[in-house]
Amino acid sequence: MTIRHPQIDQFNRRRFLGTMAAGAGTVAADMTVLNVLKNPAFAEELKRQQKSVILLWLAGGASQFETWDPKPGRPTGGPFGKIATNQSGVEISELLPKMAQQMETTALIRSLNTKIADHGGGFSLMGTGRRPEAGIEFPDLGAIIARELGRKESKVPDYVSIYSSTEGRRNGTSGFLGGRYAPMFLTQDVIPPNLSRLEQVSDLDHVQRAELRQLLTDRFQSKRQSLVVSSQTSAYERVRGLMSSERLFDVEEESSSMRAFYGPTQFQQQCLIARRLVEAGVPFVKVARAWWDSHGQNFETHRELCADLDQGMSALLTDLEQRGLLENTLVITLGEFGRTPGINPSLGRDHFASAWSCSLSGCGIKGGTVYGKTDPDGNTVADGEVGAGHLFATIFSALGIDWQKEYHQGSRPIPITDFGCEPIKDVLA
Amino acid sequence: MMPSNFVRFRFGLLLMAFTLCAIDGAVAEDDLLPAETSIPEAIDHYIDATLMKEKITPSPQIDDAAFLRRVTLDLAGRVPTLHEQNAYLDSTESDKKQKLIGQLLASPDFAFHQRNRLDELLLAEIKKDNNWREYLLKSVQADKPWDQMFREIMLADGSDEETAAAQEFLASRIRDVNKMTNDTSKLFFGVSVNCAQCHDHPLVWEWKQDHYFGFASFFNRTYLTKSKRLAEKFDGDMQFRTTEGEEKTAEFMFLTGVKVDEPKVEVTDDLKKERNEQIKKAQNDENAPIPEPGFSPREEFVRLALADENQSFFAQSIVNRMWASLFGSGIIDPPDQNHSGNEPSHPQLLKWLEQDLIAHNYDLKRLIGGIVASQAYARSSEWNGEGERPQKWFFAMSEVRPLTPRQYSLSLLISTTSPESLPESNEDEKWADFRQRYENSAEGMADQLERPSEHFQVSVDEALLFSNNSRVENDYLRDSGDKLVGHLKKQEQPEQQILLAVKSTLGREPDEGETAGFLEYLNERQDRPVDGLKQIVWALITSPEMRFNY
Repeated sequence: MTIRHPQIDQFNRRRFLGTMAAGAGTVAADMTVLNVLKNPAFAEELKRQQKSVILLWLAGGASQFETWDPKPGRPTGGPFGKIATNQSGVEISELLPKMAQQMETTALIRSLNTKIADHGGGFSLMGTGRRPEAGIEFPDLGAIIARELGRKESKVPDYVSIYSSTEGRRNGTSGFLGGRYAPMFLTQDVIPPNLSRLEQVSDLDHVQRAELRQLLTDRFQSKRQSLVVSSQTSAYERVRGLMSSERLFDVEEESSSMRAFYGPTQFQQQCLIARRLVEAGVPFVKVARAWWDSHGQNFETHRELCADLDQGMSALLTDLEQRGLLENTLVITLGEFGRTPGINPSLGRDHFASAWSCSLSGCGIKGGTVYGKTDPDGNTVADGEVGAGHLFATIFSALGIDWQKEYHQGSRPIPITDFGCEPIKDVLA
Repeated sequence: MMPSNFVRFRFGLLLMAFTLCAIDGAVAEDDLLPAETSIPEAIDHYIDATLMKEKITPSPQIDDAAFLRRVTLDLAGRVPTLHEQNAYLDSTESDKKQKLIGQLLASPDFAFHQRNRLDELLLAEIKKDNNWREYLLKSVQADKPWDQMFREIMLADGSDEETAAAQEFLASRIRDVNKMTNDTSKLFFGVSVNCAQCHDHPLVWEWKQDHYFGFASFFNRTYLTKSKRLAEKFDGDMQFRTTEGEEKTAEFMFLTGVKVDEPKVEVTDDLKKERNEQIKKAQNDENAPIPEPGFSPREEFVRLALADENQSFFAQSIVNRMWASLFGSGIIDPPDQNHSGNEPSHPQLLKWLEQDLIAHNYDLKRLIGGIVASQAYARSSEWNGEGERPQKWFFAMSEVRPLTPRQYSLSLLISTTSPESLPESNEDEKWADFRQRYENSAEGMADQLERPSEHFQVSVDEALLFSNNSRVENDYLRDSGDKLVGHLKKQEQPEQQILLAVKSTLGREPDEGETAGFLEYLNERQDRPVDGLKQIVWALITSPEMRFNY
């Protein structure tokens, strides 16, 4: 079928050629890549754009004592021991034996003091890298990464957020960056909403009506330069590509041995989906694992959840490395906060934001390092205190994003890194 | 006004800077056009003066069909029906434009749309509250002056049923005094005070932490009782630490710097304790009496804000908001950045409109009707002129504006309804019921869409929703007799189908190229003609011409 508009035809014939045009477009895009590589500035840009982040979000707040900063034998230490890792001098909880064998790509930060210890406040602080401020909605990490690393014409989503559990489920926010960078949020279904074609609309109709739409768009757009109109055009242009990314969410496409390698739990299978997404070029994937909020039975909880995390995370790092993706993929484990040194009468640990840990692996990270130190009982940060802003600056630096970059809201400059914060150089490669 | 300043201010000085009194004092009132000038005359006088000076030829006035669509979207919050199009285009009356504006302002649609506009400005961002929306609707229907609405919104305490829901503006922000402070300042006065929370501005001496905390003081005693009523405590001063480390107690201070002193009354410790107990009870017990302190900071605030010598901020802000809503950008833009680093593009016009609004009892309907009657409002959004497109703050051409979720959702519903199922005219008595029903039906889709804000971009989620969600197929593309597709399939000639489809949705006739393209498509789709019509209607309702007011 050809739909022609005499006045528009000369400007943009490619659009009316339907599926053929899509094929031609792909070739053209690849050619552009080749040309671009010859120009160092653009090559740098392109290199940056190929980077990705997987955030393993430990919702509810994991205990640093039972993960990255064990204190066995101390009154606050709890029943579990620590084990040596394959990096000399680095010891972690015995609940993470698999990770202990592959710390060469992971750096630990043991000196977070983020002060806010309620779930909502902690989520907002660790999600956006700064405290909220009345009158302005800050974008979260995923939206910033989507904006900095996403490609305009990308056929894959820029920001996918997987949150299957009901506990503490909070949507991400693209804040003032707007809906363009909002997460594709997966809760009930494994497949994102509106990604599959309705049965009642045939594939042919689906393609052809988009071409009819384009006919009207070209007429309208040719004499109006408007960013908001272009945003609508590019959103619709991305639809078919995104629909073809539906299969990325289908773990059944992976071999049974690969699925077994990641492990059978929902979280572990979602780690595999995260790898599939990143491999296809999605810049930011968040996989949330809930139920870490262990006010009661902290040790039983962590025995179970750490096993889940240890298996999923170690498999993810190994798989990324074997595929050559790890040098371009930053894997972060983080939650709202850590847990108290004190153990309450229900054998639980409560919210604690004064001295806790997180990990960074892969892209731009100096593996095997440990930054910062808590006191012998883990009550306070003894050395290298950092906050959410420092962590964000470090993440930006690791990905080659200018951490001093500014956005603007009206005339007000908004630095992507919170005021007074710098990257933690010791953990950067 | 010096155009070179535009460039400097808009692009060069990216600073947080607030000059509070300077803006007000910048325009000598004697130089303004006489008060009896009509609003459209005043607008065109000032806008054209700048264009002349800059030697910019503005884009031409749009044709009748395009004007009808633009003004119906802006005053009624929806696209015009086929009946309305025919009536307007067929009319040969010389004053038909003025009549149309009058008719739209008098129609039930206006109150609905103006209600939505105010809700989107003040609360929708935070929550959807039906009582609040009903309060706004009734207020607009009663032509309540804007200063009166402001007074009710700031001072409602739930005791008067008619205005009770007005307290929702503050009640929904009650947990954070900074939010009450900043949102009140930003949304009613066009000033974002939040920057001065942490520091005095380094360059602009007028704007200090004293101003921020002074403004916040008016809200610092406000709390919500267990019975969900807005009330004030007996005491509660705003303490803050200056950047020099000095501990200070804020004074009650309005944006202009004017202060209020609380009458000094000796309070014994026992009385203080007893009062605290009373407040605590009111916070925890639904039936406890609500204490009424003699001194109400919020009442003082409203008194100051609306006092003759101070009301400029308040009046100017709503003028600028309404302007921005109708033009896509404000005379001060963004509208919440009223400060010396961001001067108005047309200070005299803004001043004139502000004084006109005050002189006419804060009648927003009159203001809006006046703005849309100007030539500046009716310019084309196409740029066919020589050279570069003029910058938007010259208002030499129209901006393309995204519809709000409700405008889009309502327009989708109305344009995909069979013209035979729509009332003939908005003067029809059936129209009010019809609009109410459609307003409700439009909510579901509106909730799925994003509200436009600064730097708004249409999200891929929206494109996916329209491409693959069953709601779109069921609500807009059904081929039952009451729907557009059902109406189209009854037409015998494909040319007629195309004409009706384009007119119902885009409010204009298809051009030659479109007719040819659609004809070719329908011809090829003869095996499944209804599916063919559906795809054409889908393309029309997702097209930018439908999605934007242009």
